[in-house]
Amino acid sequence: MEALMTSIGLNLVQGLVLLIFAPLVAGIINKVKARLQKRRGASVLQEYFDICKWWKKATILTPYTSVIFILAPVVYFMTSLVAATMVPGFLTGQFSVGDAFIFVYILALGRFFMTLSSMDAATSFGGMGGSREIYVSVLVEPAIMLAILINSIRYHSTTLSSMVIDYDGAYFTISAVLACIAFFLVMLAENSRLPVDNPDTHLELTMIHEGMTLEYSGRLLSLIHLGSYLKIIVFLTLFGALYVPINIPLAIKILLGAVIIGVVETLNNKMRLFKVRVYLGAATVFLLLAIIAE
Amino acid sequence: MLTTIMPEAILTAAEKYSAKGTHPLTAMFGRDETVFGEGYAIYCYFEVPETKSVDGFKVVFRPESPLEYDSITHIVPAAAWYEREIHDMFGIIPKGHPDLRPLVLHESFPEGFFPLRKSVKVNAKVRGERKYKIRTAKGEGLFEVPVGPIHAGIIEPGHFRFSQAGEAILQLDAKLFFTHRGIEKAVEGKTPYEALPIVERICGACSIANTWSFCQAVEKIVGVSVPRRAEIIRTLLMELERITNHVGDLGNIPAGVGFNPAISLGGRLKEKLMRLCEAVSGNRFLRGVIVPGGVAMDIDAALINHIREVIDDVTDGVEDLSIMFSEQENFQNRIQTTGIIRNRTAVDLAMVGVGARASGYAHDSRSDFDYGVYSELNFKPYTKSMGDVAARLLVRIGELSASFEMVDKLLDMLSSCADTALNVELNYIKGEGWGISESARGSNFHYVALDAAGLIDRLFVRSASYPNWPALTVAVQGDIIPDFPLINKSFELCYACIDR
Repeated sequence: MEALMTSIGLNLVQGLVLLIFAPLVAGIINKVKARLQKRRGASVLQEYFDICKWWKKATILTPYTSVIFILAPVVYFMTSLVAATMVPGFLTGQFSVGDAFIFVYILALGRFFMTLSSMDAATSFGGMGGSREIYVSVLVEPAIMLAILINSIRYHSTTLSSMVIDYDGAYFTISAVLACIAFFLVMLAENSRLPVDNPDTHLELTMIHEGMTLEYSGRLLSLIHLGSYLKIIVFLTLFGALYVPINIPLAIKILLGAVIIGVVETLNNKMRLFKVRVYLGAATVFLLLAIIAE
Repeated sequence: MLTTIMPEAILTAAEKYSAKGTHPLTAMFGRDETVFGEGYAIYCYFEVPETKSVDGFKVVFRPESPLEYDSITHIVPAAAWYEREIHDMFGIIPKGHPDLRPLVLHESFPEGFFPLRKSVKVNAKVRGERKYKIRTAKGEGLFEVPVGPIHAGIIEPGHFRFSQAGEAILQLDAKLFFTHRGIEKAVEGKTPYEALPIVERICGACSIANTWSFCQAVEKIVGVSVPRRAEIIRTLLMELERITNHVGDLGNIPAGVGFNPAISLGGRLKEKLMRLCEAVSGNRFLRGVIVPGGVAMDIDAALINHIREVIDDVTDGVEDLSIMFSEQENFQNRIQTTGIIRNRTAVDLAMVGVGARASGYAHDSRSDFDYGVYSELNFKPYTKSMGDVAARLLVRIGELSASFEMVDKLLDMLSSCADTALNVELNYIKGEGWGISESARGSNFHYVALDAAGLIDRLFVRSASYPNWPALTVAVQGDIIPDFPLINKSFELCYACIDR
């Protein structure tokens, strides 16, 4: 019993640690992008300032919204936080609470609420963003499930912490490399990064994830952004722990992952909306090949 | 010069002067001549490429006759907006016009208010409730997306109403003219010299084009020719303005697809050019250089060297950008076949500038008219035939390299020009004249009429964006809504230019 409590405690601490560092990772991605464009860029701490700024500002609600509108950011943030406690990371105790399927659908729950809220204010941009978000997530989901299947075939378990790359065995395999590339592609789509979505744009007509947040302000907005930053670091942690077949400390993997996202976002522009299925189809094929190779 | 006709003869005249569409409509506008003891009139100018001039007719409405005529939109589709504007401004009704909704004066104006009539005071204050019905498509599963007039970026107001079937655009209706400033009314009764700073500020990006067309018109009335040195400087500044705008567009189009390195490089190059403009004219928007009769300032040897240095630098930068564009497969995929304007559409709508030339319609005032020193520069219009976003981008790149060469030649011409006179005195007389110049966005036409005291009686400005705006609503059909910002940016249409 005591060991279980310690495990849960350690997981909670990990969630908080990831929460604290999440805005920093987002800041690093933005800094890398700025430097690659020969701009000086904002400080890597800018995302902390932004979160504080939104937190202090008043929250404006239109009279046409329901309770969903207030509930959604909270659910979105909490699901990201719960996901952060589940990923196999730095602090994992004897017992693991992180089942892969629960992890995937916890995040899906957050997304579900965000799409509901996007329609709640009944603005055209919100509805457009919501419908596109569902379109992308429908394509992302099978890819993520396949990515998890590879590891559960290899390690005979669906518990996330038991899927962590075992560096003692043969870990640098074709299957691992394919899965690594594919998971990275899926990660970009899942976190609304280029080339699937453009996190920096002000053009409402092109937005996916940002389109859903247009009606938000103040604390609710800061919760959504914090949730998004958290999701990036959660995916980078998962990516590092499960899919990067190189034996270096996890923190460095996360950092490297952030830098690579920055580079990829600089090298790419946003693709046509209907090409996203080709992109995610490619990732799915990679993962199928990885399973066959396994 | 213009043939005077009665309203009944307008259809035959339109048919004759448009010459089956080979002579594009340059401008169509009304004028209140009641102060001269006459009635209202509609002026209609067509371009005549064979004589490098314009020709047309003037429809006069006798004071006692009804203010209506047969709409010529069915013969000359490009006339649709002009007829609506004349209807708003003068209350002259085009019978049988397919779409006679208000164009300039929206809901906040009263019915029966015609601001360009002389009986209306320039500072008249009105409030009203006109009807305005935005066009939408109806059907099961269709929905509307209203965008604007307030936009997310720092741009001017315009309302777009998309009728959507999922992501696909079925129809787009644009409601513009939100910030119409009544400049044409405001300059009435001013001398050309007093009006110049106002005309110069019609648009931030076309100061040279607007002032040059305006001054050409005034100089035509007075009947003077401008000193050679002034002509060279005017041409040089025009090309500098074009380079600045085109480079700005090269940095702006990739913003429609989030192609970050190109956005940054384009922005950096544009800033260099704007600083060059400031070094040349003392103003980042090249204001205050062109005056009626010539130019207000000279370009000395030191400045010539500075211009050469910056242009060389920018030439390299544009080459980098163009390589970046062609090597980025994902970018090419976005811009090719997106937002197509067919050649027939371009000709029918009498499109101008980059938008026309990207659809294989070689319309360029620099070769179609004789002004400045373009005839000595062997200028040829640069065209592409695809009519998509990629074609408009390539036309800009092609025109940039032509402009870089022209700037080089113009600087040589300037340093070997012995003529030192910069401008001539003008003695204003009664008369009317027109001027045309090719701005970065296309041909820019001004009509000026002076009264006996040398004061402006009527100014009409047809900027390059005016004939191209209606084309945007055609270009988006068949595309999906997330491609709209890209298509819009590829035309780079100006709100201020039409809100004159």
